Amino acid sequence: MSSRILTALVAVALLSIPAGAQTKLDRNEIINSLSGLPASGHGVTAALLRQQALDNIAQNPGDNATTALPLAAQLAKLRQFNVEIVFDFDSATIRPESYETIGLMADALHHPYLLQYRFLVIGHTDAKGDRKYNLELSQKRADSIREALTTTFRVDPARLDAVGLGEEQLRDPADPYAQVNRRVQLINIGD
Amino acid sequence: MTTKLDTRRPRRAIFAVAAVAAIAALGPVQPAAAQTIGYAQAIDILADSCGADILKHCKGINLGGGRIEGCLEQNPKVSQACKVDLVRVQGLLAARAAAQAAVGQICNRDAQQFCKLTKPGKGNILNCLLKAAPSVSANCNAAIDAAGYR
Repeated sequence: MSSRILTALVAVALLSIPAGAQTKLDRNEIINSLSGLPASGHGVTAALLRQQALDNIAQNPGDNATTALPLAAQLAKLRQFNVEIVFDFDSATIRPESYETIGLMADALHHPYLLQYRFLVIGHTDAKGDRKYNLELSQKRADSIREALTTTFRVDPARLDAVGLGEEQLRDPADPYAQVNRRVQLINIGD
Repeated sequence: MTTKLDTRRPRRAIFAVAAVAAIAALGPVQPAAAQTIGYAQAIDILADSCGADILKHCKGINLGGGRIEGCLEQNPKVSQACKVDLVRVQGLLAARAAAQAAVGQICNRDAQQFCKLTKPGKGNILNCLLKAAPSVSANCNAAIDAAGYR
């Protein structure tokens, strides 16, 4: 290859670096929030969380969840990042305006800093509606995100589990209908 | 806007000259890895170009599993601009995946030289190469850039 072509390639590479500067969410912010080996023996698994959410509804019935899950304290200690993903109403279909956010999650998960870790994608609703229904909807939504990450964006499926916690783990229990409760968490559960 | 661009140009030129000089100093090298864009940036092109078509013609169809692509490809009412961008975005996603997959081979010799004591797997070698960037070959550094690892 002639050095003139190389010159052109290098120039193009240098000129095209500043990009994504205007995006609200930043890949490196996600990477920084998620980096770090969690304490061993934290005990958080997808299966256990799903079971605790079901048990919480069965053992503490009522319109709204009033008790935290037994794993809540452990969960809070893990490295995590909250994103907002917009879905069609009452559906697990991701709206196109949120494709970019899922792409950013993928860009972070592919980075060498995070390659050694496994993650949970946890979907949450607010307290409107039936708890069991919310649990199922949030599981389907988390599944949709995991599917997009592992197919469209080629993240290794072995590194990701999807969990729906419905309204069982509100971010703001004092205001159960607040927007801030509707969120998706990406949580580092270690290697 | 214009003045801003003008003030930045000389700096870029200096970088380019320095980079070319560095490459020239190494003598004959393999082609530099082509720049690729991140998954977020690529899929945002699709969301911008095809968003309206997706909401109108692919209602209830999800992004994953190639289903949105399938719907957009098969529906005759989808705009031509979207169909063109869909092919482009598929290429961009594949290019990023290929750039990430290629790093191991392109940087193999650098890994043996600079990461001898690093236990392979789990991104360890890549992290070692990132740390060793000042010593790593231009080709390997270009591959790491192309993969979006910096």
